[in-house]
Amino acid sequence: MPHVPTSHFLLMALYALLVSVVFATLMKDTRQEQVRTAAMMFGGFLAAALALGWLMFPFPL
Amino acid sequence: MATKSTTAERPRAAAEPGRLAFVCVLSWLIPGAGHLLQGRRDKGLVFLVLLPLMFGIGLWLQGRLFPLELSDPLVFLGAIADRGIGLPYLIAYAADAGAGLVTASSYEYGNTFLMTAGLLNFLVILDAFDIAKGRK
Repeated sequence: MPHVPTSHFLLMALYALLVSVVFATLMKDTRQEQVRTAAMMFGGFLAAALALGWLMFPFPL
Repeated sequence: MATKSTTAERPRAAAEPGRLAFVCVLSWLIPGAGHLLQGRRDKGLVFLVLLPLMFGIGLWLQGRLFPLELSDPLVFLGAIADRGIGLPYLIAYAADAGAGLVTASSYEYGNTFLMTAGLLNFLVILDAFDIAKGRK
């Protein structure tokens, strides 16, 4: 069985990075806009995931 | 000053229906090929590399390629999403990959990567269609 990473944060960050880059490439036409949009989207994904993670701490599902 | 990512970013005349269909099928089969065909080189290369990579990561994470089972609507929708990636799916299917390992801790992540790659390619197909129609 191949070794796979089990870090949830690492996998979530990798997923967020790939989705951000594809979305930014789809939405924007210039490279500068694409880079800025991808960076903002990636940061937003990470911030939202961390915020939701902390919110679930006092209010477990 | 911002530089254009490709040399052919101007709207152009709408393509004929046959060419529209060809662009869509090609874009489904090879992610990004519809953009490359229409001169959107940079965008096409990004899709050509990242979407199959995402699909490959999904397989590596022990994700499952769902069968087309109408009896289970969620599995059916997952199967549609999996098939959105085109040729990488067909290669994985032919190689008997994507059986999935439900006991693996990365199983759900693998499924998410596999389905998202297909769904993103559906958006890429729509974008290629819009370009061929002259809307972009």
